[in-house]
Amino acid sequence: MIGRRGWRAPLVAVVLAGSAALAAWAPQKAGTEPLPPELEARVQALGKQIRCAVCQGMSIADSPASMARAQLDMVRTMVKEGRSDEEIKAFFVERYGEFALLKPSTEGVNRLVWVVPVLVFLFGLGFAVYYVIQHKPKAEASAAQEAASEDPYVNALRSEIDR
Amino acid sequence: MKRWGLTVGFVVLCLALLAVLAKGFGKDPHEVPFGMRGKPAPPFQLRDLTTGAPVSLEQFRGKPVVLNFWATWCGPCKQEHPVLTWAQREYGDQVVFLGLIFEDTPENARRYLAENGTPFPQLLDPNSLTAVAYGVAGVPETYFISKDGTILDKHVGPIWPDRMTAYVKALLGKGPLPTATAEAAP
Repeated sequence: MIGRRGWRAPLVAVVLAGSAALAAWAPQKAGTEPLPPELEARVQALGKQIRCAVCQGMSIADSPASMARAQLDMVRTMVKEGRSDEEIKAFFVERYGEFALLKPSTEGVNRLVWVVPVLVFLFGLGFAVYYVIQHKPKAEASAAQEAASEDPYVNALRSEIDR
Repeated sequence: MKRWGLTVGFVVLCLALLAVLAKGFGKDPHEVPFGMRGKPAPPFQLRDLTTGAPVSLEQFRGKPVVLNFWATWCGPCKQEHPVLTWAQREYGDQVVFLGLIFEDTPENARRYLAENGTPFPQLLDPNSLTAVAYGVAGVPETYFISKDGTILDKHVGPIWPDRMTAYVKALLGKGPLPTATAEAAP
């Protein structure tokens, strides 16, 4: 039987998932007015890089959720204020962590994600080359050794054939 | 000796992979990280739903603030409404309670509050810019802001009396900050 406390984690998980789902069903509000084309293009490009806080892996530019619209409105406001792309992304990372970026940055520990696969590949390649180099002469040597250690009758037969 | 080295290397690699998997499986994929803990609460100036008067966070400097983001379309928000009403009655003389209406119409909010009571000022947040500035990732969410304007923590999901009491005590310096939100539900 599950104790009273045992129900807490599943209940909270259901409430959190429900809250996120509900945020997607909020009454649709119109977004802020689009900016002039060149600035709006920046807004949309940034929106493609920022993750919607209540969606499953969707950008704020692509998600129909009201939360995404609110986040995109914030991007538009910041672009209008003359903030740089880096400042805007940092604003979202400060609030939602690296989770806010659909493509993780390549700085700090995150660099490992990009570097480690290359290192592992190079290590594997190096190991393969080493293995081939090490085993090829050994194989020839062992064949020669095997031939030499055989029965004298076989050796004599071989020399007859080779003649 | 060489074979031992290979075995140890393989075991280390497997352990590293297991550690990565354990870290991934131990994490709630729905949980959105919260980076505003311990940071200054973003200032705002919003309109009161009832009076239309401007209300800013700055005017409450020197007093702890409990900021609740909610909406009428959100079931858990309705669930916690009686708790907030109770909390205002219990602690309203020591802490400022404010409601922020998230992604909802003023008419919906007025209708709901007329039926269920308006325990404390409710603010309109056009385009939810204040909600985004606070790092809101769904409603209800309740923020606890110290008297010097620092966000001590936020509670995600409907809040219960024991949790509210613990947070208010922490705000008033009479108790520790409650631990992980995941233990909040009864």
